[in-house]
Amino acid sequence: MNDRDASSANEAPAEESRVLDESAVREAKKASPSLVTLRAQEPGRERDTEVVLTLDDVTCYYGAFAAVSGVSFDIAKHDITALIGPSGCGKSTLLRTLNRMNDLIPTARVVGRVLYHGEDIYDPEVDPVEVRRRIGMVFQKPNPFPKSIYDNVAFGPRLNNPKAKDLDDIVEQSLRRAALWDEVKDKLGESGYALSGGQQQRLCIARAIATEPDVVLMDEPCSALDPIATLRIEELMFELKKDYTIIIVTHNMQQAARVSDRTAFFTVDVDDALGARTGRLVEFDDTGKIFTRPTHKATEDYITGRFG
Amino acid sequence: MHPDHDETRSRFSESLEAVHRGTLELGALVLENTRRTAEAMLENRLDLAHQVVEADTEIDKRYAGLERRVFEIMARQQPVAGDLRFLVAVTRILYEIERSGDLAVNAAKGIIRRDGYALPPDIHALIARLTRGATALFARGLDAFGDLDPSQATVLDRDDDEVDDLVGDLYSAIAKSSDVMGFDLAVELSRVGRYMERIADHAVNIAEHVAFIVTGSFPLGEEPEGS
Repeated sequence: MNDRDASSANEAPAEESRVLDESAVREAKKASPSLVTLRAQEPGRERDTEVVLTLDDVTCYYGAFAAVSGVSFDIAKHDITALIGPSGCGKSTLLRTLNRMNDLIPTARVVGRVLYHGEDIYDPEVDPVEVRRRIGMVFQKPNPFPKSIYDNVAFGPRLNNPKAKDLDDIVEQSLRRAALWDEVKDKLGESGYALSGGQQQRLCIARAIATEPDVVLMDEPCSALDPIATLRIEELMFELKKDYTIIIVTHNMQQAARVSDRTAFFTVDVDDALGARTGRLVEFDDTGKIFTRPTHKATEDYITGRFG
Repeated sequence: MHPDHDETRSRFSESLEAVHRGTLELGALVLENTRRTAEAMLENRLDLAHQVVEADTEIDKRYAGLERRVFEIMARQQPVAGDLRFLVAVTRILYEIERSGDLAVNAAKGIIRRDGYALPPDIHALIARLTRGATALFARGLDAFGDLDPSQATVLDRDDDEVDDLVGDLYSAIAKSSDVMGFDLAVELSRVGRYMERIADHAVNIAEHVAFIVTGSFPLGEEPEGS
């Protein structure tokens, strides 16, 4: 500021030379590919438009009450899709609907269609176990089996193919992909419980991808982890999206903003007469758009923290 | 959510309001300085020219303080959506205001350097209109920001053409009478024309940033050009 005052008498000539500089910069830009172009050329950066999952007017009931109602959107291959919204908006319920995890709850019922590569996963012909093999899940709290690190990862592949011979390979590859191999390669026989929370969660990710799923569902995978362990999981998600399609439920909006390509925002409608709370999808869009200029006021109010 | 979450967020809203108010106050100081510069020039008031230079210290101090405050809010609140657009736009608006303040100071220093101007009547009249036009535009830019009125960007952009025309007229008049008033004054007055033109441009930019805050896009197509 003050230095500009000192040169105040030269204001006009200074502006002219700035114009010259700009044209020089433009010339230089023409000569070499821009940063944007370089990034776009990186493998895996191109946005895949192939749809992996389609939710078509999905409503999830527990008994007579709809936990989340009338949800429709597409999930694109190699995208990280974040589901956000206040407690009770049905985002976790919806996530569990995507691999028929809610089948295990007797009162749970799904209306509408969930299409996996065009095939309705709730069709009576479809085997839910096969659905869960293709669409794996990582939970909020790391939940390794009370087994060795090796057996945790080998569990799914053994189940799928009891005669599998390349288990060592599968275990190693899965642990490598989960960015855990270097930390555990010398103690594969030790219990999964001996690991730290962040390592246990990466072990669960390794276990989930050992069955070579197509989609990985993550239900608040970092909520029990410290910031450093969280960062490692987030970095891991970027790696994993090259091979998998990821859907994550998170309460941490900054996490959704950091890691996801697209964000679905849910809200909850309360029926005081019935005492029922039903979630619904408000907005589904590119994460960049959601966090810079969301379309709906409810989204804006939620992500800027003006709820209450 | 967290029990004291609401309280934290209401404090957040308060700090956004404080930044809005502080930025408007900074704008008012610069507007006042622009008016003083015009009067100093037209009425040969060297005392006013000195006041302009002195007042700029306070302007710079407030500018730096507001910018620091915005950075701190960004770091601590991690704003998104409308809040983020507001804070990013405010850093730019602060710059437009501070830069306009420097231009007023530049003009005031020119007056001091030459111990006041002896202006030919036609040029006096043109500079009177030009300074009035530029100050009015600057005031309207600040009003747009005060009201967060996104419609002003296109209006101000249109009215800026009048200021540009006046600057053109001033240059022609200076060229015609440069023999009479001498080279140095001719150059000095050309600069005044340039300063006023730039202040008006900053005003249009401010209104464009306001439109960005409200709508998320720039009404005149691209981001305001660097100033």
